[in-house]
This record gives sequence, structure tokens and C-alpha cells, in this order.
Amino acid sequence: MDPEINSEAVTDSALDRVVIDSDQPVVTRPVNGHSPKALLKSVFREERFFLILSVFIGIFSGLAVVCFRFAIGWCRLYLLGSGAVLSPTRLLLAPTLAGLVIAVLVIHVFPLARGSGVNQTKAALYIYNGYIPFRTAIGKFITAALAIGSGHSLGPEDPSLQIGACLASVLGRQMRLSRDRMRLIAPVGAAAGLAAAFNAPISAVLFVIEEVIGRWTAGILGSVVLSAVSSVVVMRAFLGSESLFRIPAVQLERPSELIAYAILGVVGGLAAVVFSTGISTLRPKFKALPLWTQYFQPAVAGLLIGVIAWLGAPQVMGAGYEAMDEAMHGRFTWQFLAMLAGLKIVATLLSFVSGTPGGMFAPTLFIGAMLGAAVGGAEHVFMPHLTGSPGTYALVGMGVLFAGFLRAPMTSVFMVLEVSGNYSIILPVIVANTIAYVISRGLQPIAIFDALTRQDGLELPSMEEQREEGILHVEDAMRPVDGPVLDAQGTVEQAWLAAEPAKADEMMVRLSPSGWSSVTKEQLRTLAADGKGGASLVSVLASAPIPALHPDLPLETALRYVDRWPLVPVVSRADFRQLEGVISQRDVLERYREFGES
Amino acid sequence: MMEAQEEKKAAPRRMDVRLYFRQQPVMLALVAGLGVMFFLATAGLSRAYHTQRNALGSRWFNRAVGDLKAGNFVSAMNESRSALLYSRDNYGYQLTLAEALIGLKRTDEAYSYLVNLWDRQPEDGVVNLELARIAAQRGRTEQAQRYYNNAIYAVWPGDQEGKRRDTRVELIEYLLRIHSTAEAQAELIALEQNLGDDAAQQEHAGDLFVRAQDYEHALGAYHMALKSDPHNMAALAGAGLAAFQLGRYPLAERYLQEAVASNAGDTKSEDLLKTTEEVLRMDPFRRQISVAHRDDIVVDAFETAGQRLKSCGMTSSSAMPVGAQATLADSWAKMKPQISAGNLRRDPDLVEEAMDLVFRIERQTNATCGTPEGADLALLLIAKLHEGS
Repeated sequence: MDPEINSEAVTDSALDRVVIDSDQPVVTRPVNGHSPKALLKSVFREERFFLILSVFIGIFSGLAVVCFRFAIGWCRLYLLGSGAVLSPTRLLLAPTLAGLVIAVLVIHVFPLARGSGVNQTKAALYIYNGYIPFRTAIGKFITAALAIGSGHSLGPEDPSLQIGACLASVLGRQMRLSRDRMRLIAPVGAAAGLAAAFNAPISAVLFVIEEVIGRWTAGILGSVVLSAVSSVVVMRAFLGSESLFRIPAVQLERPSELIAYAILGVVGGLAAVVFSTGISTLRPKFKALPLWTQYFQPAVAGLLIGVIAWLGAPQVMGAGYEAMDEAMHGRFTWQFLAMLAGLKIVATLLSFVSGTPGGMFAPTLFIGAMLGAAVGGAEHVFMPHLTGSPGTYALVGMGVLFAGFLRAPMTSVFMVLEVSGNYSIILPVIVANTIAYVISRGLQPIAIFDALTRQDGLELPSMEEQREEGILHVEDAMRPVDGPVLDAQGTVEQAWLAAEPAKADEMMVRLSPSGWSSVTKEQLRTLAADGKGGASLVSVLASAPIPALHPDLPLETALRYVDRWPLVPVVSRADFRQLEGVISQRDVLERYREFGES
Repeated sequence: MMEAQEEKKAAPRRMDVRLYFRQQPVMLALVAGLGVMFFLATAGLSRAYHTQRNALGSRWFNRAVGDLKAGNFVSAMNESRSALLYSRDNYGYQLTLAEALIGLKRTDEAYSYLVNLWDRQPEDGVVNLELARIAAQRGRTEQAQRYYNNAIYAVWPGDQEGKRRDTRVELIEYLLRIHSTAEAQAELIALEQNLGDDAAQQEHAGDLFVRAQDYEHALGAYHMALKSDPHNMAALAGAGLAAFQLGRYPLAERYLQEAVASNAGDTKSEDLLKTTEEVLRMDPFRRQISVAHRDDIVVDAFETAGQRLKSCGMTSSSAMPVGAQATLADSWAKMKPQISAGNLRRDPDLVEEAMDLVFRIERQTNATCGTPEGADLALLLIAKLHEGS
């Protein structure tokens, strides 16, 4: 039997019938004996050890994120003051001076701390075999805390993600993990960091799967979930378990109210395009400026943000969670909310393109919340019968921008549910997010993370393109059986009589009670000539049963078998004795060639 | 030489130790130890961080409470917001902010905070009361009544019974404002059962009963108030009014006389007293008067009604139905020659007939020419008093 075949996938008698039912064979080996040494060996087999390590990664990331949050809080307190109403001097000076310090640190000490951190984590996975220098985590911690605490319009989530990934990389290196595991360790840490930053383990897992790894694989999913959960447990132990935002339960009194949310989806989709176009257009221009200007870019950005705050919109400073909370409580008029959304786009553009380290998650949520509450407020003016509260619209708006700007549609839905702890909002969120995603995808074919990667000269796989890429299946390459299907219980003579007029050289043989084999016309002719025409076909078949495929399996599964058997049967899932077609190595290669040319 | 041999022996041992530390279980144990240290360090930082934030939050909150009490709502709002920076979910901070916003008439914002607070503690009396007030302002009667009722049975800090009573009083006032008199009366009866001997409370309950037009209970409440404080001027006036409305004019006269005596500036009671005295003076059916006096009263009343009929006919020719005026005028003119003290004494039935016509004239003229004054008002009230008899 093929050693790669999943033992659980082989049904009935393994000798009689071999059916490949999974494209990811899992090899399970029994534990030899129950001695302590054997048990220890079993526990520390790499895949299990990786799971244990994931818990440690989660704990370390959770602790790091907690410290990071403390650092941001202290920076905010000492740089901007303790009150909600900030003094003009601090408003102008704090982000400017912090910008100067950050520039020096980023240029001379922590060059890898630039940017949000998502792409760096992807690069670790796809380019650097999971390697992220520890110095990056230190740099990200210091510079991002300084930037966000001083009022730069950036968020703590992406840096948390990178810090988590970095800690995971360090731990993996110390544990001397294999290269395969090392590659996967950065996303495990990233999920832990993001989960702790958002207090949202499901969203973090989904984001890492959707945006960093790009596929659901059993090998990594367990580790990602474990690390995310353990980091959230640690974070909650220190910072509490309350959801980020709280709004009352949403009641859709009339289905027609979904139209109001659909309008928000359209507006949010367009705003996401403006925001991402701004970043992808301005960033290379700022990077192309002379080197000496990079010392001043974060400071100038900080000064301009301070001016915006001084002119009456201090809400745009920092991550802005307090302002989001206030918007949800209907503090602002819809006109002011719309203005805040616009100013936040400007402030975040300034901060991000100037190379200030910090994340885009929080600003995205901020813009979405303000836009959502503004659209909701405006709709209430013209359609007073609408029942949605400002909080509802703000929350839906967050999801809309998340879906439109970060282009992670699944994460966007779960993120809204998790940060609000409110399931009743799901329908408006799904409707609005889908519309925003479709608009953004249509108007801006390249997602922001992909655009940033390409600007940095890296060629990382685009998760969005991967998601939308067509997958070839066995049915795309298989062909109909072009000869008679022989019965193994019949005689060689009968088989030869049936096969002789056929054009095909290789005939499929149906075994009893089930299973498949094959025989060539030449073999049958020789057997008949040797006087073995009366013998049953099954007695003269030398080869073991051929594994059968199903039409819906990925075509790459067929590649594992077509080089060992000239024809591999493709059978129905409902009736394994029913032959749907056959597939050969040539069929597979031919189909791949056609696919590549199309 | 010996040292070199020792060195040779030690080298594999060092190698063994290094290999030992490279083993995963050992590494894991080391990482666990590191994790514990990291955890302890974070716990220390956390304590410092939260202590500082709690202190800052409390400082801002105390300022906000002070400003709220002083009516400086803008400062209270900003200070509450500052406090919330340090404890976003703090119930007290949010409630103070909501109260400051209510003070600033920013009820939409306040409502949003209050609804969140209600979600967290639906049994909080303050939150329910504020929500009830906002709902009342917005004209959402059902919602307002629900929140008021929640507040009445809610948990209150401090004097729980007092707060519940005050809330019920507020609900009654609200119900009276929206003219839900029957519901207000029901609430008032519930309130009355929870009132003590406090004169002010009883007096206020009496006022509310008066507003709810439940004069019987009002009189009872004023009576209770006067038991505790016999010289309570407002209670005396209220009791006089309640007794007057109930048609108990002798009792009303007594209360109103005391009210006017104790408060000369109470013109309302004074006017009411005059009317009461007039009623008592002009009522021919009251007991303990002589027949001669009764007949004189009837003659007076008949004359007064005739004057009223004439003046009403002159001032509002179009208002009074011509037929009705003619009929009443004809009846009055026809009966006029018979109305004298002697005739009345001889024919006691004539007293009934005369007063019946007087009452009809006063009712009709009241309906067409408006509420009368003086003797006519007294006659109208007497008519009402004897309506059922």
C-alpha cells in the first residue's frame, strides 16, 4: 500500500480497494511502547512540540502586547497630558518632537521597524524562512509606542502583530525547529499578537489565514488557534475582558432598512479606494525624496497632525478609540463625523507615508466608524423612520472600511462581531461589507498590502489573487474510458476478445468485490498465445490494485499516482465501481499546460 | 600536565552540558521559566500602570462630580471624559458624563450612554430615571412610563425609599402633564400608602390629588398634614379647596377662614372663601335656618337669576339659543308675580319650583355666557350640589 495514503481514507479492504479521499495525506504512527522515554519522545515529536510551543508563543506575545499597550498609555500621558482636552502647546510639540526622535531611531537603529508590520511578517514566511531579528521587535515596540502615544495617526494592532511574529521567530530559533516549522512560526506569533491587540481571537486567526498564510491547512491551524487563544487569555488577565465597543442590540424592524446599510457599503467602498490610492501613490513619492528629508518627514507629519488637532479635531490623533466610542454614543453631528473621517484619512496618510512605524488597522476602523455614523446620521435626516442608532452605523462602518481597505472580507465580519460582542448586527455587516469589498476590488485591483510589497521590491504572494485563482480538479483533466472495461472474474480469452478491437492499449479491469486494476492489450495477447485463455483474469493480474481518484479532487493529487500507473481510474463517490473516466500523466501535464497558457 | 588531563576530562563534560541544554524539553523548561519571569515583570508593570490610571481617573471624576453639583456642566463633561480615558467602562464615570450631557441638554448623547449603562445594570434607579426623563422629553409615553416604573422598583444608593417615593411623585407629575388622570390617581393611591406623617409630603400628595381631581383623597392627605402641622398654610388652603370641590362648604369655610387668617396674602383662598360664604348664604336648602330666612333667600335668588338672564341675553344675543332664552324668560316672568315671602310661606312647593327655575337659568347661562361671578356663581354651585337630590 502506498505509504503516503491516509490510513483513514482507505476504506473496506485495503487490498481490495484503494481510494484517495484527501489531498493532504496524514501519516499517523503508533507510539511504540509506554515507557517514560517513549512517551517523552512522542510528546516532543516536532508537530506536537510545535503545538506546545504555540501556547508559549501566545503567552509571550500576550505579555509583550500588554507591555506595548502600557508603553503607549504612558507615552500618551507624559507627552500629551492626562486630560481629554489637550493644551495647544502639547498638541503641536509632542508629535513633532516625537517624529524627530522616531526618524533617528528608524534610520540608525531599527531600520526594519518601518511600516505596519504585516508585510514584514509575510516576508518572513515566504522569503526569510521565518527569520525576524529580535531587534525588530524592540524597535517596533519603542518607535510605535512613541508614535501612537505622541498622537501620530496610527494604531497598535499591526505592530502587535509584528512583535508577536518576531517573538515567535526568536523562540523557534532557540528551539531549533526545522525549516518548515520555522517558516510557519511567524504567522503563529502574528495571530497571537493581533489577537491580544484586538481582544479578538477569531478575527486574528482569520486575518492570519486570509492575509498572511492564504490557505487553511490543518498543520498550521491548530497552532494559530492555540497561540491566539493563549495570548488573549494573558491579555485579558491584565487588561480585562470587555469587548472593545459596546452598543445596544440591533433590531431590523423592516428588511428595507438594509438599503440604508447598503448605501453605507457604497460610501465606505469609495472611501477605502481613496484611502488606499492615497497611500499607494504618496508612499513611493515620499520614499524617493532625498535621504536627509527622511529625518524630518515624521516630524513634519506630526506637526501637521498637531495643526489639525489644534484647529478643532484632536480626535484624529493616536489610535482614536475614545473618539470612536464617542461617535457610537452620538456625540458628533453627521457633518462633523464626515469631516473627521476625511481628516483622519489625511492624518493617517501623513503618518504612514512619512515612514512612521505604526499600524493601519485602528485608523481604518476610525475612518469607518466616523463614516458609518455620518452616513447613518445623514440618512436619519432624510429617512427619520430608520431605527439604527449611531453606534450601529459606526460599527458597520468599521467593518466596511476593513473589508474595503484591508481587503479581508471574512475577517471584517468577524472583527465587528468580536469587537462589539454583538451578534445581532451581522446582517447589516455582511451586506455592507460585501458591497464595499466588491467596489474596492473593482476600482482598485491591487490590495494595499500587495501594493506596499511591490513598492518595497518584494514579490510576495497576493492572498487575494490566490483566493480568486481557479483551481484545477481531476475532472478537468480526466478523459472518458476509450476501451472496454474488463471484468476480473472473466477469462483471459473473454478479455482478449473484448479488447482486441479497441484502439486503446491499456484496459481498466474491475476487481471483485471492488477496486481497479489495468492490463495492456499486449499482455492479453501474450497470455492468450501462451494457452492461458481459460484462466480467470484476476489470477493472472500481477500488479496490486490501482488507487482510484474522484473527479472533484485537486489535480495535484493525481500527480502523486500518474507516474506509477499509466492509467488511474476516476470513480464516482457514490459508487466506487462506477468508472467516471481515467487519467494519465500526459492528461495532467497537458491540462496544466493549457491552464498556464490561458 | 595534570591540568591538561583535567582539561581533557572537562571538555566532554562541557559538551554534554551544552548538548543537554539543546534538548527540547530542557529548552522548553527554560522558556517556561523565562515566561514566568516575564509574567511577573508584566504584573509589576500592570500594577503600577493601573494604580496610576485609577488615581488619575478618580481625580478627574471627583472634579467632574464637584462641577456637576455646582452646575458647571461643560467642565463636568470634559472632566468625565478625561476620567473615562483611564477607565472607559467605569459605570460611575459614564453616569456622570451622561448627567453632565443632560445638564447641557445634549440628550441624544446622554441617551446613548444611558442605554449602555442600562444594558449593564437594568436595575439601576438613577439610569432608569434619567432614561424616563429623556423618553418623556421625546414624547415616548410608553417608554417613559416603563422606565419610571423600573426606577420606582430599582436599586438606589442612599435613601432608597425616599428616592423611590420621589420617582413616583415625578411619574405622577408626568402623568398629570400628559393628562393621564386615571393612571395618575392609581399611582397617587400607591404613593399615599408609602407616605409617613411628614406634613410636607402629605401636603404635596394633597396637591397632586387635587391636580388629579381626586378631592376626597386630597382632603385626607391635607388632613394628615394638618394633624402634624395644624398651622400649615398651604395644607389649610388645600383642604379648603378640596372641601369646596367636594361641596362640603361649611368645612371649606372653616379651612379657608383659617388659611386666610394665617396668610393674608393668599388671595386665591380669600376669593374661594368669599364664594363659599356666598354659597352658604344663598343656599335655601341648608339645615338649621328658619322658614322666613329661607323664603327671603329664595326671593333673592330668584331676583339674581332674573338679572343674570337679562344680562346674559344682552351681552350674548347670538350665543344663547333664542328659544331657550325665551322659554326661561317667559317662565321667570310668569313666576315673578308669585315670588314673595308671603306666597312662599303659604305654598312650600313654590320654593322648589322657584329654585328649580333659578338653577335652570344659572346652568343655561353658564353654558352660553361663561362662568358667572358672585351670587350667580354661588347659585350655580348650589345647583350642582343639589343636582342629584
